[in-house]
Amino acid sequence: MTGARVLAVGAALALVLAGCASKGTQNQTGDTVNLGASMSLSGALEKEGKLTQQGYDYCVSTVNAKGGVPVGGRMLRLHVDYQDDQSQPDIAGQLVDQFNDKGYKLILGPYGSATTGAAMAVVERNGQVMVDSSGADDKLFSKGYQRTFAVLSPASVYAASIVNAINELATPKPRSMVFLSADDGFSKTVAAAGEAQATSLGFTVLPTQQFPAGATDVSSALTKIKASKPDVIVGSVHLAEGIAIVKQAAELGVQPAGGFAETVAPPTPDFVATLGAKANGVLSSSQWVPEVKGSDAFVGAAADYRNGFRAAFGQDPEYHNAEATAACLAMVLAVRNAGSIDADKVRDALARLDEQSFFGPLKFNNRGENVTKPMSVVQIQNGKLVTVWPADQAAGRLVWPGASG
Amino acid sequence: MSRPVVVWALAGAVVVVGMVLLPSQLYTGQVRVVTAVLMFVALAQAWNIIGGLTGYACFGQVAFFGIGGYATAVLMEHANWSFWAALPVCALGCAVFAALIGLPLLRLRGHYFAIATLGVAEGMREVVTNLGWLTGGGAGITVPTVGGRGTAWLGNDGFYLLFLALAALAVAVVALIARSRFGYGLRAINQDEDAAAAAGVNTTRAKVAALAISAALTGLVGSAYAFQQVTIYPQRLFDVEITVIMIVMVVIGGAGTVLGPLIGAVGLQFVSEYLRQHYPQEHILVLGAVIILVVLLFPSGLAGVRGRSGVLDTIRAYRL
Amino acid sequence: MSALAQATVYGLLQGGLLAMIAVGFSLVWGVMNVINLAHGAYVLLGAYTAWELHAAWGLDPLIGAVAGGLLMFGVGYAVQRLLVNKIVNAPIFLTLLLTFGLQLVLVQGMAVVFSADYRSIATSYASQAFTLQSLAIGDVRVPYGRLLAFGLAVLATAALVVFAQRSRTGIAILATGMDRTAARLMGINARHVYALTAGIAAALAGAAGALVGLVGTFSPPDAARFTLLSFVISVLGGLGNMYGALLGGLVLGVVQAWAGQYLPGTWVNAVAFAVLVGVLIVRPAGLAGRAFYEARVEAT
Repeated sequence: MTGARVLAVGAALALVLAGCASKGTQNQTGDTVNLGASMSLSGALEKEGKLTQQGYDYCVSTVNAKGGVPVGGRMLRLHVDYQDDQSQPDIAGQLVDQFNDKGYKLILGPYGSATTGAAMAVVERNGQVMVDSSGADDKLFSKGYQRTFAVLSPASVYAASIVNAINELATPKPRSMVFLSADDGFSKTVAAAGEAQATSLGFTVLPTQQFPAGATDVSSALTKIKASKPDVIVGSVHLAEGIAIVKQAAELGVQPAGGFAETVAPPTPDFVATLGAKANGVLSSSQWVPEVKGSDAFVGAAADYRNGFRAAFGQDPEYHNAEATAACLAMVLAVRNAGSIDADKVRDALARLDEQSFFGPLKFNNRGENVTKPMSVVQIQNGKLVTVWPADQAAGRLVWPGASG
Repeated sequence: MSRPVVVWALAGAVVVVGMVLLPSQLYTGQVRVVTAVLMFVALAQAWNIIGGLTGYACFGQVAFFGIGGYATAVLMEHANWSFWAALPVCALGCAVFAALIGLPLLRLRGHYFAIATLGVAEGMREVVTNLGWLTGGGAGITVPTVGGRGTAWLGNDGFYLLFLALAALAVAVVALIARSRFGYGLRAINQDEDAAAAAGVNTTRAKVAALAISAALTGLVGSAYAFQQVTIYPQRLFDVEITVIMIVMVVIGGAGTVLGPLIGAVGLQFVSEYLRQHYPQEHILVLGAVIILVVLLFPSGLAGVRGRSGVLDTIRAYRL
Repeated sequence: MSALAQATVYGLLQGGLLAMIAVGFSLVWGVMNVINLAHGAYVLLGAYTAWELHAAWGLDPLIGAVAGGLLMFGVGYAVQRLLVNKIVNAPIFLTLLLTFGLQLVLVQGMAVVFSADYRSIATSYASQAFTLQSLAIGDVRVPYGRLLAFGLAVLATAALVVFAQRSRTGIAILATGMDRTAARLMGINARHVYALTAGIAAALAGAAGALVGLVGTFSPPDAARFTLLSFVISVLGGLGNMYGALLGGLVLGVVQAWAGQYLPGTWVNAVAFAVLVGVLIVRPAGLAGRAFYEARVEAT
């Protein structure tokens, strides 16, 4: 063995031993509320994971700026411990187990429905409690889990709310719609619910076209629907597919008489940044808009959230940020109401939670879904998101037809 | 049996007994980390049979993992099988599948075999994604573990023991093959396939058998993994990254050896786990740098650094 | 009929770009027997270079493609000289491992430096299109951005072929690929030639990345997808032929476009891989491959 090799082997061994030795410290110390969060800090969902992390971080700094979390007459500091799940469900489950080792019973959700589903199962098993900020697939909440609560509206209203908005506001009223859907569970649930709503409102719904989730080439779906000239194209998508639909529709000359609507993608600033003027007119649904009514003791009103977030991160919050902050806030409110950080007491407090917040109402049904909260509909106008529906939140009128051509 | 074999078998038994007792000393999450290590030991050893010993770089190994996992989920969910019935059937099914694709694909050499198996794995993922009525498609499938259906979930300690058994089985299988006539045939194919054929090795049969055994072991692991995860998704079960990790572990440890993949799997899993826990934001960056350094410092694999014991020498004499 | 013609044209255009992404990967693999898993990261580095130039000075992505290509030539050359050359004689698995580590570092490094935001280089012309009108098959639209990317990709590949077969350096590269020891005896500096090869491959990848930014979107996790595509296209086309990657890319593009027309959209990838496996079974050396590198003499 050469000297370098001995050194390297020694270093590697020391590294591994240190890793083992530093494990297993049960530290839920007296003056801190520790929350564990498995997060997509790398991998396919890194972008969305970072947005979620920002939302949690904002919650932590805001709560601590107000003196911390009031628990039984004491003020405890709030702290979130992040671990990287690499956007993989199996690692997310493992990380929640590891948080349990460290005595972290209170968990903030990871990003995405698959990772959230894996984390939910482990939370249930370990008697932890989790507030979910992003796992929206309705299927997650039909498994009978009792210890996970989602602050966001479920997948089934993402496209349905857009259909409702078009039905109420669009003149001339479009006749036909087609859904283009990614093939992951969340997007399929979104599309199915949207189709059902459109059919029940009397729209002609053309056969849904699917493509692989994450596709950057959706040209075949567009070529297939071109001849049937749908009035509205609704994308049940994530960012990459959402951008591709608008971009390639322009390339292929697919111009719906009404316009485009897409879930998830348009509220992300990258959508406008990459599409420029072509983004104008696209409709979307949003978990949160600055016009949401309601306020809470920590974050304040929706406008306070926007201003505070802008001051902290130099950009306006988008709904992925807001739903994360709201999840963290729900946990903080539940700890306050429970007067304890005991997992069972916090769970019961979450089940009973009924608060107004910058995110709207925080109140869960017996499956853990926040169903009282409506989903807002926004439209991109001059590169800005404008809330157009429901009427009590609207900041502007729907521009119709939406397609700029 | 010669003395070194007895010594090694005894040492292996001592390690296994020690490992059985380990969970009582660990927290749940730690048990789970070690379980993941054991899973990758088994996977790396399985790949070692076709990739290390035989020298056929199977880039689609994850196909067997995914098929094992999905077959288990489907049998348990739709046919109400118990996990214990599904496990061996899935292994057998993977072996048969491997033999079927092996017959045409193992005629290809080197890169072409690598890419063809990669194509099979990616294609299988797409097939599973598209058979939504059977597999749940992109929304995943959930193995029944509660409410009197299926098999009760084994608990973290139970899965630890299951994966320990699979890892021990994989190591034992590789050790047995490495010393057998069959194993010498595989090494001969690895070194010079035409010469091996000329020397009387039925190369087609040997290669297909190697792929089938490798696939059966991988399928067992996939089956156990599906049960452990409860809900599985095609993106993860057919993730090309899992194949790459298997290969990386085998190569770091020393391809074609018995201990090499073991060392590689344990080392890489612990290092990446350590880095993830201590550098949540930049652990992958550091892991990449560590891998580059390891390659430049130990171009023959970590097993090449170890001492001069008889068996290792014997094994090393037949290495790549 | 119109839909099929449209799909074919679109598939061809897409295939040209795919070919340009893959051609360098194929070159390195063929000449050095190195599977460069960091190739997809090179594509993205080129894309980010063009994006930054566009954002900072409004430079057109076509200029960005040149800049990205030049920069990546340097990166590819240096990586080969400083890292890969150290172990280029080792079994193929080892270089695989090295480039795997490299791609982890590069992809994660890009995520740190450029963030994981989705990006695209917005131009006034990329989404504009002209229409080919024909009574027989109806209208077919040809988007300028993709046409430009296609043209450049074909030109670059053709230039590479001419360079390899006509220039002194190119012949040295091919000769080294066939028999390193003999090449060295003929006075060729193999280390330098290898680094040149890696540099050219990286330059093509980087330039292709700028074009990806022109017609589509990119973010760091895309690296693995580009590498996988390169892998498939190289083998589909066949390693021994310089035109192999071009052919492989075009075939893949058209097959995917056709599959998209006649099958549910989610089967597109399954069909592509079925074609790949089928081609390999029928023609084990790829569509255009010859038993060229298979007969090579490995340096000992």
